[in-house]
Parts: sequence; structure tokens; C-alpha cells
Amino acid sequence: MPSGEIHGLLGPNGAGKTTLCKILSTVLLPTSGRAEICGYDVVTETAAVRRLIGIVFGGERGLYTRLTARANLEFWAALYGLHGADARRRVDALLERLGLERRADERVETYSRGMKQRLHLARGLIGDPRVLILDEPTIGMDPVAAEDFRWLVTSLRSEGRTILVTTHDMSEAEAICDRVTLIDNGTILATERPSTLGTWITRYARVRASALAPEQVAPVVAAVSEISGVADVREISPGTLLVDTAADGAAPAVLRRLLELGVTDVATTRPDLAEVYLRVIGNRGMRVDR
Amino acid sequence: MPERTSSRPDVSTRLPRGTAWRAVVASTRNAWADFAATFTPLSWTLGWLGRIVAQVIFYALIGSLLGSEEQVRYLYIGAAVLATAMETLLVVSTSTRERYSGTLPLLVASPSALWPVFLGRSVQWLPSGVATATVALFVIGPGFGVTFTLADGVATFGVLVVLAITTYGYAFALAALVLRHMRLRNWATNLSYIAMMLVSGVTVPLTFWPVWVQWIAFAFPITHTLVAIRHLEEGVRPGLHVLGHVGTAVLVSLVWYVIGAVSLQRLAASGRRDGSIEFAE
Repeated sequence: MPSGEIHGLLGPNGAGKTTLCKILSTVLLPTSGRAEICGYDVVTETAAVRRLIGIVFGGERGLYTRLTARANLEFWAALYGLHGADARRRVDALLERLGLERRADERVETYSRGMKQRLHLARGLIGDPRVLILDEPTIGMDPVAAEDFRWLVTSLRSEGRTILVTTHDMSEAEAICDRVTLIDNGTILATERPSTLGTWITRYARVRASALAPEQVAPVVAAVSEISGVADVREISPGTLLVDTAADGAAPAVLRRLLELGVTDVATTRPDLAEVYLRVIGNRGMRVDR
Repeated sequence: MPERTSSRPDVSTRLPRGTAWRAVVASTRNAWADFAATFTPLSWTLGWLGRIVAQVIFYALIGSLLGSEEQVRYLYIGAAVLATAMETLLVVSTSTRERYSGTLPLLVASPSALWPVFLGRSVQWLPSGVATATVALFVIGPGFGVTFTLADGVATFGVLVVLAITTYGYAFALAALVLRHMRLRNWATNLSYIAMMLVSGVTVPLTFWPVWVQWIAFAFPITHTLVAIRHLEEGVRPGLHVLGHVGTAVLVSLVWYVIGAVSLQRLAASGRRDGSIEFAE
């Protein structure tokens, strides 16, 4: 990864995202291969790597909830060798930057999920790291808080920090990442720009048509199947069809045809990451693109 | 697209002097916060202290059933002093929270060593343990024939402080072991407590046991400090004899502190190898 990049690591549960984060964070030794942070080997130059990285978890774990936000940051500041006025300045600056200064002296257990996540980020930044590792940072957050958090993350790019963020949310990866790497089973499948992901998502959109009369089903299936780019049409329950597309522009064409046929109860859905894997990555084979 | 750089930034791998001590102090704030969240002054007094005092009285009543005032005093002092050690063993429980709260991997990945964090993490049990035994010995104790002169009382209080600090060393080492083998969490604490109660001179004199058991007992700092407190209660002036026992406890605990610190560093190293330090516990 080039420095100053926000790089997304995408993959379903068990793909190896967190394992990679643990290796880069120096809490796990790789069974094979080699990883470096800013040129320092994570296995043999651990002390240097630890001065260079910050780690941010998602969820409730990783915070001392009985301490205040300020005390949490002061604790971690001490572990990163900061003390006295330097530590106070750094803590105050992070609390202000992340919008926590007004409730800095309240126990973390009283915080909302979004506030806890901002504190996580502040903790990750306490050592002024060059590389920030975010492990599913927005998991469990409401959409507004998640959006707010993503804005904070992107603002770090301008400071030249390199950010590795793991997620299984493709829209999140699209929103904040310069590039994304898809992994599965500990193997890199592809590294792409987010715009490519957007293309995949559009290409593999799924159309759901509901409330079809029994006599409508067969003609609608036949008509929709003829549309170029339609991969599959199936009745998933009486009167409900699911149309999978596999080409740019196919989904709008399906929607138009359904309306022409008098089907008005329609909706489009985005494929989840696993489906994109199965269909895009499956088509591409296992080419490693980096 | 940001530029790829191949040059390594200069990184100082040495933390400023005093970082370990400041980490200990910062960690103690966590300890006090835990304590404040667990007890109010009222709940500590009526709940915790009341429970421990009741336990001490129970032992004394066994002595009373034996029809011997000497047995009453012996069991009462043993149980009261054991209360300090018992509370200090809660270090194990407090320390293992670092795994449950998911902070352990962050601690391992920080530039600081692990031992200062864990050294300060459970200090709340020191004053609590000393206070419990102090109330039991000096406030309730006279009702069971346990009395001290003012000088001996002050000296006894000092020995209780030493007992708490030295047993903390043992518990610190035990916590380091349990952090590596979490399934031992309850076993380690309870076995230690039972072992102290049986072989450290709490309920029966040390000489009751075979020599090899006595050697095991010597590894517990309470064995030595309890002898010192019994001497003080019997009116033996704080002299070389008492100081010798206290000094032995300190030396034994130093060994435990070193074992604990080394074990914690090995915990980080072995956790890296076997993948036992999880981001989500």
C-alpha cells in the first residue's frame, strides 16, 4: 500500500481480514510470507512497528468503560511514552477533534455507540501513528453515526496517514477507500478501485417483482428472460419473482419490461459481498491483481 | 493516487525514561474506577466487610466449640489475616478482564511492556484487604480475646500492609499464568486460597504438616507475615525475629513479582505464536 492511502480490505466472515490485521498489529506471527509497515518487518522489528501503528476496533471491545474518555486517552498516552503537558495537549486535541470534549469527563459506559467509536479512533491516534488499522470500525453503528465516522476517517487522509480498513460493507468501502482488496480464505482475490466495485454492484443488481397473479407468472418469466443481461429468473414464492442480472444496464431494462407487463410491485436490491464473490470473482478466476 | 514510498522513517524504539512507572500509575486509575463502580462506601461496609467479618467470626466459633480460648484467638487471627490475602487474590479476576474487554491485544500492540499495566491494574484490592483485616483484628477482635498494645497494633497494621503487597506479587504471577490459560481462572484462585488456608498456619500450625508441605507453604507470603502478626499479638516486640519473617515475605514476593513480569512478557510472545490473543475475546 502506498502511504497516504485508505485501503479497504473486503471479505466475508472468516475470509482472513482480522487475521491480517492481527499480523500487521504484531499480535500474531504469520505462518508464511512477509509483511512490513513503513519498511519495518512486523516479525523482526516489532518495537518499531508498534510505534508506527494505531489500532481501532469496532464494537464495544477495547475500551475501559468505567473510565472517562479523558482517562482512557491518558492511560494510552502513558503507554505510548507521552506525559505531562505533551500528553494533556494531545488528549485535549483528540477529544476536541473527535467532538468528545463536552463529555470527556463522563464514564465511557454512558456513551452512545457512535461516541464510543469516536473514542476508539481517538485512542488509535494517541501515538500519532503513520498507519491506522481499522477492524470493522462501523459495525453495529446506526447509519448517521457510521457516516459521521467515515467522514472522520477520510479527514485523516489529508494528514498523510495510511489507513487499512476492514469491512464487509461494500458501500462503506466505496465511500472512503482509494482502493479495495478482496480476500477470501486468506488469499487476495483482487485489488480494485472502488469505482469498479460500483460497477459490479450495478451490474449484478437484483430485481424483485411481487404480487403477480398466477396467470401472469409464466409470461413475465418468459418476457424477462429474453432481456439481454438477465442471468436468472425464478419464482421464489407464489407470485414473487427474483431476477438476477449480470450486465450493465440490464436492471433498468428489466424494470421497464415489468412495468410494460403491468407489474408495479417491484424493487431492486444490491447483491451482498458473497454474491459478488460468487459471480464476479468466479468469472475472473483467482487472479491476483496487485 | 498517493505516492508509494520505499524509505523507512526513523523510529525511536526506546520509550522515554519513566514510561513504565507512568503506565503503572495510569493503570491504577483503572483499578480505582473498577472499585468505585463495584462498591459504594455503604455496600463495601455492609456487604463486603460484613461478609468477611462473618467468615472470620465463623472460624472463631469453631475454636469456641473446641473449648479453648487459645484456639479461638488462633483461628480468629488466622482467618482475619487470610481475608487480606483472599482479597488480594482478586487480582486474578481483575486482570483477566483485559481479555474479556478486548484490551489485551491493544496492550500487546502498544510500545509499552505488559507488566506495568498489570502491576497497577488491581491495586484497589490492597487497601480494601488491609482495611478488612484491620477492622476484623482491631475492632471485632477484642470480643474474641484478640488484643494488641498500641505499639504492637501499629506494627501489626504495618505487617498487614506488607502482607497485602507481598501477596499481590503472588497474585500478579498467578494472573500472568491464568491470562495464558484462561480455563484455570477459577481453579487457580480457589486452589491458592484453599492452600493458604490449609498450609500457611491459618487454621493449623505450620508444624502440623510434613516438611515438604511446609516448603510449599513458604512460597506463600502470608505464611511468613502471619507468624509475625501472631508474635506481635503475643506481645513479642518488633525485633529481629518479627522483621525476619516480614523480610522473608518480601524476598519471596520479589521472586513472584519477577515471575509475573517475565510471564506477562512471555504471554505476549507466546500469544503471537499461537494466535491466542484475539481481537474479539
